[in-house]
Parts: sequence; C-alpha cells; structure tokens
Amino acid sequence: MSDAPSHAPVKSIMPKWVRGPQDFVGGLALMAIALFALWASSDLQGMRGFSFGAGTAPRMFAVLLLGLGIAVMVVGLMTEGAHLATYAWRGPLFVSLSILSFSLTIRPLGLVVSAFASFMIAALGTPETKWKETIIVGICLTIGCSLLFPYALGLPLQLFPRFLVQ
Amino acid sequence: MAELFSNLALGFGVAFTPINLLLCLIGALVGTLVGVLPGIGTIATVAMLLPITFGLPPVGALIMLAGIYYGAQYGGSTTSILVNIPGEATSVVTTLDGFQMAKQGRAGPALAIAAIGSFFAGCVATVLIAVLGAPLTKLALAFGPAEYFSLMVLGLIFAVVLAKGSVLKAIAMIVFGLLLSMVGSDIETGASRMAFNIPELADGLGFATVAMGVFGFAEIIRNLDAGAEMDRDLVQQKITGLMPTKKDLIDSAPAILRGTVLGSILGILPGGGAVIASFAAYTLEKKIAKDPSRFGRGAIEGVAAPESANNAAAQTSFIPLLTLGIPPNAVMALMVGAMTIHGIVPGPQVMTKQPELFWGLICSMWIGNLMLVIINLPLVGLWVRLLRVPYRMLFPAILIFCAIGVYSVNNAPADAIMVAAFGLVGYWLVKHDFEPAPMLLGFVLGPLMEENLRRAMLIARGDPSTFLTRPISGVLLALAMLLLVLALLPMIRSKRDEVFVEGET
Repeated sequence: MSDAPSHAPVKSIMPKWVRGPQDFVGGLALMAIALFALWASSDLQGMRGFSFGAGTAPRMFAVLLLGLGIAVMVVGLMTEGAHLATYAWRGPLFVSLSILSFSLTIRPLGLVVSAFASFMIAALGTPETKWKETIIVGICLTIGCSLLFPYALGLPLQLFPRFLVQ
Repeated sequence: MAELFSNLALGFGVAFTPINLLLCLIGALVGTLVGVLPGIGTIATVAMLLPITFGLPPVGALIMLAGIYYGAQYGGSTTSILVNIPGEATSVVTTLDGFQMAKQGRAGPALAIAAIGSFFAGCVATVLIAVLGAPLTKLALAFGPAEYFSLMVLGLIFAVVLAKGSVLKAIAMIVFGLLLSMVGSDIETGASRMAFNIPELADGLGFATVAMGVFGFAEIIRNLDAGAEMDRDLVQQKITGLMPTKKDLIDSAPAILRGTVLGSILGILPGGGAVIASFAAYTLEKKIAKDPSRFGRGAIEGVAAPESANNAAAQTSFIPLLTLGIPPNAVMALMVGAMTIHGIVPGPQVMTKQPELFWGLICSMWIGNLMLVIINLPLVGLWVRLLRVPYRMLFPAILIFCAIGVYSVNNAPADAIMVAAFGLVGYWLVKHDFEPAPMLLGFVLGPLMEENLRRAMLIARGDPSTFLTRPISGVLLALAMLLLVLALLPMIRSKRDEVFVEGET
C-alpha cells in the first residue's frame, strides 16, 4: 500500500480540532448532497391532505440524510478517526476518460474502433502497462467482443464506423 | 408433502430443459471465471454480468444469474485457498486454513472439501427453500402496505447491524440510496423529480448503471490505487491428488453438517447472512474442536465448515427475496433489479402466478451446485493459470467489457457515462469508509418503500400511528428499534473509550 507515507501533508489541511477528518468530510459531503436534493425537489408538490405528493418522499429522505450527515460529521469532530485517504489521480482519470471516449465514439465509429481505443486509454491508468502486450490483448479483446455481443448475444451493435458502412 | 414433490417435479421439469441446463452451466462457469479473477468480488461479478442476461427469457436469465452468483462464490473460495486472497467477504475465514493446506501441498483436498461441503449445503438449502417457500408466501399475502413498509425497515436495519463498520454510516448510506432512487418520474403523479430536464434521467437512474459503477468500476479504480501488481504469493507447486483422503472426509463430515445448519439459519436473516455465517461456523468449529491449536495451521474442518455455511446462507437468502420480495443483501438486490427488468415483481405473487419460474429457479440452483462440483474440480488447473494473468492486462479488458454491456442494455451512450460517474462516487465512498452495499439495498428498496408508505398513509387517512397500532407492523418496527439500539450501544461505549485512549488509531 502506498498511502502510508503521504499522510502527513494531508493531515495539515484539516484544523486540529477535527479529530476524525475522514468522517468529518464524509459527513459534510452527505449534508451537501442532502441540501442539494432538498433544493432540487423544492418545486415538487408536498402533502395534499393526507395523501403524499410527488415531493414528500424525496424531501423526507433528504431531511433524514441531512440529519445523518450532521451526525457523521459530529462523530468525525468528536472522536479520533482515520485521516483522509490519499486519492490517486491516474487510475480514476484514465478509467473515466476511457469510458467517456467509449460513449462518445460507439455511435459514430462502431464497436471495433471504439472498444480498441478505449482499451488503450484505460491501459494508461497504470504505469505498469507494457505496450506490446497491451496492443495484442486489446486486439484480442476487440475481436472477442465483436463476436460475443452482436453475434452470440444478438445485440444490435454496429461494428464499423458509420461512414465506412454507408 | 405431495404438493412439495409435485412442485419440485415442476421445477426440475423446467430446469432440465436443454436450454436452461446450458444457461445454468454457462452461468456457473462464467461466474467462476470472473470470481477467480483477482480483485473482483461476488457483487461486482454479478453486477458486471447482469447486462448479458437481459436478452434471455426471464426464467433462463434468472437461472443464469443464480449460476453466476454461486459460481462467483465458488471462485472466491478457490482464490482464498490458492493465493490467500479471499475473492469475497464470505471466504475470508477460508483463507486461514485453506491457504495453509495449500502450502502443505494439500490444495487439492482443500478445494475438493470446499466443493463437497458447498454442494451438500446447497442440497439442504434447496430443500429448505422448497419447504419454507409456501408457508412464508401465505404469511406474506396477509401483509398490507403498512406491514410491508415495516418489514422493509426491519430488513434494512438488519443489513446495517450485520454489516461491518459504523452503524451510523451504514444507515446514512441506506438513506443516500433511498434518495438516489427518488430521481426520475413519480409513480403516481408522473411528475419529474430531481431530473433537471435531462432526458436520460427522466426514467430514473438505471439499476445496472448504479450497481456496476459503485461495485465494478469503483473496485477497478481502487485496485489500480493499490498498484496493479497486487501481492499474490501463488502456491507454486503443482496440485497433486485432488481427492481428499478417508480421514479428511471423516474429519470434515460433522463440520460440514454443523456449517450447513448454522448457515441455513443465518442466511434467512436479512443482511449479509453469508458473511456472518462463515465467521460463525469457523468460530464454532474452533470452539468445539478437541485441539483448537490446529486451526490456522491447515485444519480441514476450518475449510469445510465456513464453506458449507456460506453456501447454505447464500442459498437460503433467496427465501426472503422469493417469498416476501425483500432482498436481504446486495446480491439479492441485484436479483431484484434483474427481475424488475424482466417485468417480474418479486414477492409472494411470483410463487402463485409464475410457479415455473419459482420452482425452476430453485431446482436449477441444485443442478448448478452439482455442476460446480463435477466441472470445476477438474478445471482447478485452469483457474490457477487464470490467477497468473497480470492485472494490468485484465482491468482494461474488464472495463471495456462492462462498458459495452451497459451500453447495450438501452443502446444509450449516456448510460456508460453514468457508470463512470458512479464509479467515481463509489471510489469516493470507499475512501471515506462508507459501505456501498447498504446504498444499493436502499436504492432498490426505495420505490417499494415509498409506494407502501404512501398507500399505508392513505389507508390510515394520514395517521402515521398506523405503523405502530397494526400488530404485525408494530412488532416488526419494535424489533427493528431493538436491533438498532443493541447495535448502537456498544458503538457509543467504544467511541467513548476511544476518546479516552488518546492517539490510538
């Protein structure tokens, strides 16, 4: 595990009176989500007589979450807890980018191009990637998926770029 | 009794059709395959393979999914024994003695006993589901909306209490899941809720999207964090002699029996029953053993008992799902999602209206277990070779496979983006020590809870005390309250202790 030595700089971000930063921040985030949901559902109808409106349940859950978020935050304040974990940027970034590129290219470019390109982008997610083997695996996977999804599973997927097919 | 046999006959009739047998086989094999792959647990496996079952007829899809489920479980125990990495939480205790056995060159017998124990437990659990199914269904039919709501509350509380980690945070996760399930259009009025006029959100968040993101993708991202080359001290020597000796069998038979009983009981309880079951079974074996010091050094009972217990529990956890329509754990929540996509509303009516689905599924579980024993033991060598595939090659492949899968559900590119977003959410949750499993449970139960709450309130003319005054509902809620208090008490006490013990983290 690589996150052991990097605790020190992270710790200094939090003021001293926050004893469990992990829970403190977690609670704050839940509160933010709850408040956002309250705002987002504020235009919905509430109780009509004794029947629920569209907005009753969402607001109910949001208020509950707000309370729980406060509780988690208070626990983070009062008790000694874990520090904030360190986030790696490389994995999340390239995994997200890979999916993004897939969803943007699957329609216009088809499965073959899209899957292979996204595979390559995803492979950037770790420094250990060896390119030669990655390209070979990528080609195999693309062929496998092109056979599995449209043929074996009968899903309506376009294989090749639109401008080539037409 | 005669009814039971006719039901089972109907079930086997359905399960033994060639197409269903094939689906069961594929499910079990694919489940094992993905379950064996390092860094992918049961929930992630089921979540990722969910889309490939969508094109099938409902019975076949559920049979295949069930196959994937216990296949993945089986795969999990294989990795526990061979590489000391529990494929899932339920096999954690299996590593203690299983890996030691493997080190002593007895990986073969350990795997065989795990399979035999699982199969025996599966047989018992199948019978149990068949026996308990009908009476529980009758009970469920007597339930009104208030009772249903209270039962779901109890189920969620159970899930929280038995989950590891902070009770408070687990509850927060459930409510977060409930809130997420509110996105989309309201069932009664059709009003768009928290969708911000985004057309992709109009129908609500997709179940497969959330599950695959929070479990599948988040797990991949987290594994990348830890360094793709995970520490895998694979047992290098060749596995010789698969079959356990006579002594092994005699030693493990009572352990298998005890594990099965314990697992079956704990599995019916909602909330991660299988995990608790394996731990409880291991502890029990250690307690009643003549020589407890053998445990942790390759005692075969230490493999037999937890493996039987977790399989028994995994199967009996279908009971609340199939009879009451309430998923007791995250994998069952995935099954609910799959059923809903096929237009089946899980609950007591499944058994009466679609008996061939209900009994077919149950019987296919038994067949699937049998297949696992017959097929997987000879394939152990193959699984071992799979374990040697480096993660750096594996993860992009899994990722793309999932992306295509999720895209093909609705042919919507936006779904894939949502999965990525939920992957990041899941990553964040893990970093803050929030359990994603309760969130998924809340997400699945959200619409059901809202509907029943609304109906109950309407019937009671807006009087919330209806939940307490109706006897069954009141008892269920009281139970939930009691459980919660019991769970919170030690936490409050230990937190207070922590305050006094300065700097001890």
